[in-house]
Order: sequence, then structure tokens, then C-alpha cells
Amino acid sequence: MFFLTRAITNIRQNVFVNVVTVGTIMLALLIVSLFLLVFVNLESAAENWSERVQVTVYFDKELTGQEQSSLREKISAISGVSRVIYVSRDEALKRFKGRLRGQETLLEGVRSEVLPTSFEIVLKRAYRETVSVEGFVTKLKQIPGITEVQYGEEWVRRFNSFLNFMRLLGALLGGFLVIAVVFIVSNTIKLTIYSRRDELEVMSLVGATRFFITAPFLLEGLIQGLAGSILSLALLYGLYEGFLQNAGSFITFNPAASGFSFLPVEYLSGLLLAGALLGFIGSLTSLKRFINV
Amino acid sequence: MIQLHTVSLAYQQDASALHNINLHIGKGEFVFLTGPSGAGKTTLLRLLYGALTPNSGQVLIDGQNITRLAPSHLPLLRRSIGVVFQDFKLLHSRTVFENVAITLEVLGWGRADIGKKTMHILKQMGIESKYNLTTQRLSGGEQQRVALARALVNDPKILLADEPTGNLDDANKNQILNIFKEANIRGTTVVVATHDRRLIDQSHKRLITLSKGEIVEQVEKETARGDQNE
Repeated sequence: MFFLTRAITNIRQNVFVNVVTVGTIMLALLIVSLFLLVFVNLESAAENWSERVQVTVYFDKELTGQEQSSLREKISAISGVSRVIYVSRDEALKRFKGRLRGQETLLEGVRSEVLPTSFEIVLKRAYRETVSVEGFVTKLKQIPGITEVQYGEEWVRRFNSFLNFMRLLGALLGGFLVIAVVFIVSNTIKLTIYSRRDELEVMSLVGATRFFITAPFLLEGLIQGLAGSILSLALLYGLYEGFLQNAGSFITFNPAASGFSFLPVEYLSGLLLAGALLGFIGSLTSLKRFINV
Repeated sequence: MIQLHTVSLAYQQDASALHNINLHIGKGEFVFLTGPSGAGKTTLLRLLYGALTPNSGQVLIDGQNITRLAPSHLPLLRRSIGVVFQDFKLLHSRTVFENVAITLEVLGWGRADIGKKTMHILKQMGIESKYNLTTQRLSGGEQQRVALARALVNDPKILLADEPTGNLDDANKNQILNIFKEANIRGTTVVVATHDRRLIDQSHKRLITLSKGEIVEQVEKETARGDQNE
């Protein structure tokens, strides 16, 4: 309690230095969290696109109810299957018409009998990579009665390599950002502690133990880090809201439909913790340089 | 109280700051260290409060050999030593009261006791009315009295002063000297490094002269004349 009071008094007595430190931590974390926000949203967009990785089994006749349920059962038994949807001839024609909206005349005279029936199989997330899809298709073809299978091989391959590239780029950029942030914040803290080295000297002159000298500084660092991260998240939320409200005026973008979302709770608490740790560890390493008790 | 045996110290290999110092200062003594700039006065004082360790020889403070002291025990030793400097080393963002109270906070005193004892010493130093001002707003003499109050508030066994009157006018010098004498009367061993001849001549205390890192002269206290004049 004594140390907390001391830390708060120190903050009040060194307002300028504290404002600079909190401001630096805030801006540094804002950059990181802005990057995270964009990255998380790109990931979730990719997740939505990968729903399109689906395997379709075609039949040239309408299946009876019994055939349908027997095949559905066999397909579902293969690991990786998320959903199996039967598309009847009527359903297929309806979708076809839907795609040609405005040009329905083209379909005049087309009857549902000319279209194939099919099973559309949506795979679980982990099975949407190229290799897994190919393995799945091989197993699928072993089921008696299934001959024609389509899954857009080229698209799946391209999509997956795009995803991998994006993740690598994200990890690299994120890594550089984190290193830069740690460097900037630790140097700022080092300078603020340097500006108060008299205090450290006086404390050690009057016989303060290492713990007694460092505890208020460490608490101060923790408070600064926490304050910086809270402010950066508040600012990020402000930017996010501002973007959602104004996005429509400069890009064709519908926020509600795009699924553009704020950072999930785990990321927010992670950023708060990172801020607090940044302040604490920054102070700890800087103090080591200036205390020779 | 203070013993140095064949103490030598060099900041760099070829430049010796102190050379073969043998010194004994008894409990309750008042000693002036003098000598030209660079003679080693400050270095010697720094050895006494454990800010430096000698390259060779032994330094004993109140029976403890500080050359063999574990770093974690140094703070405990420093609690029995008060130190004042020419530049006062005050914390300018804090008030007079806070600057002095820090010594007692370190010792773990309770709030009420800290308040009482701090105000008491500020009164002794004649600056109790300024307790709530930050030290920047004080004159040089007042600042040195705050530094002295910080050094003396816990009644240390030893008081070390490095050019304590260097920045002060004559009136303030006399006040500071009187505070040293009073502390000495109460039992504190006092060591003052200064090249202020007038201060030394007025006091009639034991005088140790350093030159180029060696003790070149020791003059014992002029008992009869000195005590009568005090």
C-alpha cells in the first residue's frame, strides 16, 4: 500500500514525464492493435471465402429418398464433412434461373430434366486445404454409385497459397512492429528513469534497499502501461466506429453485411496485458542500469 | 568508528586516486579533510559510505569491514551514515518535508512518527515554516539546511559532508558549521571535506591534509584554545 501511494505521488509529481511515457505506449500499442484489427478481419474474410471450398457429386438421375439417405450416410462417414446438401433437379433449375436474373428468356424451353442432381459437400475448416480436399475426393470416389466429382482444384490451390502468403506477411509485419514497439517504449522508459536518477541516488544514499527503491518505479511502469493500453484501445474503438460510419461515403462498402468486426475479447485482454507488461519490464530493465545498490 | 588500513584506489590503472591511506577516526570525533582539488577528499568520503570499494586495503565503519560487505547489507550500513554534498542533492519536485521524511520512510517509521520527527528537525534547522514548499523555491543556505536535516533526522552515528559550504555566503557557512558542531555534541562522528581555510581555522578541530592521494599532514584538535572559543 505504501508503494502504491508512493507510485501515485510520483506520477503526480512528474506529470510531464508520465504523460510522455503513457502517450508513447498508447501510440505504440495503437499501431499494433490497428494492425491486429485489420489482420483479424482479413482472416475472418478468408474464413468466409473458404466456405466456397466445396465438393459436388453429380448424378444424371433423380435419387429416391432411400438412395439419398444411404449415400448421405456414407458420405458423412468420411472424416472432414461439415454439411451435405442434396440439390434436386427443380432446385438446380431454380438456382440456374437465379443466376440468369434479367435474362430469363435464355432459359425458355429448358426443363429441369436436362439438369443433373447433386450432393454439395461443405468441408470442416481444417479439411479445406489442397491436400486434404484431394484425399477426401479419393475416398469419396470409392463409394459405389459416385462417379462424377467436381471441386474446383485450381481455385482451392490458389486460395490456399494466397492464405499462406497472407499469414506469412502478417507474421513478418507483426513481428517487426512488435520489435519496434518494444524498442521505442523501453527507450522512452529508460529516458524517463534517467531523468529521475537523482531520486534513485538519494534513496540509495539514505539506505533504501533495492526493493524499496524499485517497487514504486515498477508499479508506476505497470500503471503507465495499463493506462497507455486502455487509451490505445479506446482510441482504436473510436477509429473503428468512425470508419464504420464514414466508410460508405468513400468506398462501396456495407459494414453490416461485410462482417467487419472489432477485436475479440481475447485480443483486447491480451493487449491490456501486453501494455502492463511493457511498462513493468521496461522499468525493470532500465532500473537495473541506474541502481548500484 | 572509522578505520582505514593501507587503502589504495585507482580509477584508471596508471592514475592512483588514493595511495596507502592509514587513518583512524574515533567515535564522536570531528575531523576536517582538506587539500587542493583532486587531492582525493571526495574519493575518500565515497569510500566511507560504500559508493566505492578500494583496490587494496581495508575500510572498517563501526566495526564492519565494508570491503567484504555483501551488497544487500550496504543499505543497512548507510542508515547509520548521513551524507551532505556541495550540490545538496535534493529532490526538487518534492517538498522540504518530503525530502527530509524520505530518510525515515526508508527505515519503515510510521506516518505520525515521521511527521513529528521531521518537523522537529526542520525546527532545529530554522526552516519549519517552509516545510510545504518545493526545494527549488529555497535559497542556497536553506537548501543545504534541508540536506542536513535529511542527513541528521535519524541521528546517524556518522555524518559525512563534501564541501558543504562551497556555495554559501559567510552567514550561512557559520550556521551550517554550528549545526555540525551540535550534531557532534550529540555524539555523531563528523567528517567534513573542505578547502575553505576560514571554516577550518574557526573550528579548531582535527585536520587531515591530503595531496595527490596521500595524507601529507595531520594536526590534532587544538583542545584548550578551541574549546574555549566554542
